[in-house]
Amino acid sequence: MIEKSTRRRFIEGSCRLLGLVTLGGTAGLLTERASANAVYQVDPGKCKTCDLCRTSCVLSLSAVKAVNDFEKCGYCMLCPAFMDVMSKPDEKGVPTGKVCPQDALKRKVVGKVDADDPNNNYYEYVVDEARCDGCGKCVKACLPPAGNGSLRLEIRYSRCVECNECAIRIACPDSAIVRVFVPGIAPAKHDL
Amino acid sequence: MDSNEKNTDTTRAKARARFWRVWFGPVAAVGALAALVTGALRTRPAPRAATPPQGQPSSTPGPPGAPGTRRVLPLAEAPAASARQFKRHYSQTAVLGGSASPGEFRRSLLGISTGAADHIYVLGDDEVRVFDPLLRRVRGWRAPDHAACLAVGPDGRVYVGAPGRVDIFDGAGTRVSGFPTGEKDTPADVTAVRVIGADVLVADANARVIRRHGPDGTPRGLIGNLSKTGSFILPNRSLDIAVDTKGVVYATDTGRHQVTTWALDGTPLGKFGKFGMSAPEDFVGCCNPVNLALTPDGMVVTGEKMVARVKVFDPNGTLLAVIGPEHFDPSCIHIYLAVDSTGRILAADPARREVKVFSLSQPPRQGERA
Repeated sequence: MIEKSTRRRFIEGSCRLLGLVTLGGTAGLLTERASANAVYQVDPGKCKTCDLCRTSCVLSLSAVKAVNDFEKCGYCMLCPAFMDVMSKPDEKGVPTGKVCPQDALKRKVVGKVDADDPNNNYYEYVVDEARCDGCGKCVKACLPPAGNGSLRLEIRYSRCVECNECAIRIACPDSAIVRVFVPGIAPAKHDL
Repeated sequence: MDSNEKNTDTTRAKARARFWRVWFGPVAAVGALAALVTGALRTRPAPRAATPPQGQPSSTPGPPGAPGTRRVLPLAEAPAASARQFKRHYSQTAVLGGSASPGEFRRSLLGISTGAADHIYVLGDDEVRVFDPLLRRVRGWRAPDHAACLAVGPDGRVYVGAPGRVDIFDGAGTRVSGFPTGEKDTPADVTAVRVIGADVLVADANARVIRRHGPDGTPRGLIGNLSKTGSFILPNRSLDIAVDTKGVVYATDTGRHQVTTWALDGTPLGKFGKFGMSAPEDFVGCCNPVNLALTPDGMVVTGEKMVARVKVFDPNGTLLAVIGPEHFDPSCIHIYLAVDSTGRILAADPARREVKVFSLSQPPRQGERA
């Protein structure tokens, strides 16, 4: 014999259903998170290159490094991220000062080399990560309209020690350090 | 309770039980699936998370410079040009678009040219729009997909450049012809089109040369390939051109900070300009000038980025006038230029999506505000 259905039973059933759905969703969420490694990364859309990446990281040399996107790079002779365009020019009119205080941005001529006129050359800019302290001066100088915006800051997973709460994230005034889930990325293990 | 009431209750209970049997499973499954999908979307790694090692190109372009993240260097200040008096003085006389008429260009402003009777042709919002000299809209039509630049020929036809091709419209906006440009595997990145006589000149920022075509698209040669490097140097991937009535082609060589001149057959004729951050005649930053036009009396008008300004030179490179950065958005990476038959300079600011009109005027007296 079928039991008489009441409003109370209907509400009970609905609550059970809701509970099941919530449990399922939470389980899915947790499974998804458990299958990936959570790492911190710089969101270049939010980053204002305020220099706190350099000073806030628990490592003596910050895990944040400048990275050059070669597809966007203009291979400029007068790269505003490499040379301080406002510095005193030499006899050829080329600025003598450099933007990077660590001299971490290196350049070399690519393609055909014209030794007589440097304006005829294309230059490839590479960040020396052993020197880069993540101050972001080059990134700032490369922003449009001065440059093509090819440089950006990134947390290098080979250096990041994955603190429970990233010190840069706490310090960042622009919430530019975000938590991302990347399968197969393991935090670096080394002494601070 | 009589038997009729019992039967009714039993029927209702059966219906409810059936309802639950039919709907409970699907609803629970859909709910769980939705929660899973939501969770997965929320935990999807940011596109930049998987970083290539240093020294290898990254496949994802970075957001700096994207709409909404526009930032301007503190460096972007004009070298002190205002203290110097120049031979010519321009003052702003009209504005089209921007805050003056906000509905005019809502999404984009990509090119400007002048035609017969000083009508102004503007490429913006995926349309070619025609204005009379008083900036009243006359007509308009839909531009080809991905249109990047335009020019008006002496015959009144409108040439619209898009990646890999040039489309030709009559003055009323009917497409009359068109032709592909560039190599088979590497179509031209068309950043400027100009028409001189029976020649259509196409600036190809991909190959970093100017392609000379006949009116039907027949290739007639290249301009710029006889330089020492075999091409222009374009760090900002943009090449602008202008051509005078004698057939002398002016081109921006942004990486060299020069305006270069060429004969139609590709012979280099001359150049002027150099890098510098202090003298107003110098071109600043990594790559300038970015845009170019010619006045009816043969003077060269240049548009610059970083310090967004317009300058007027004589053909030898002597600076005649500066239209300062106070007129333009500092984040401009282009100032598209055109000049009408009366010598008015039309400068299109794509960041503010407005066209400013500058006319020759008397220089302000000392102590008077410009």
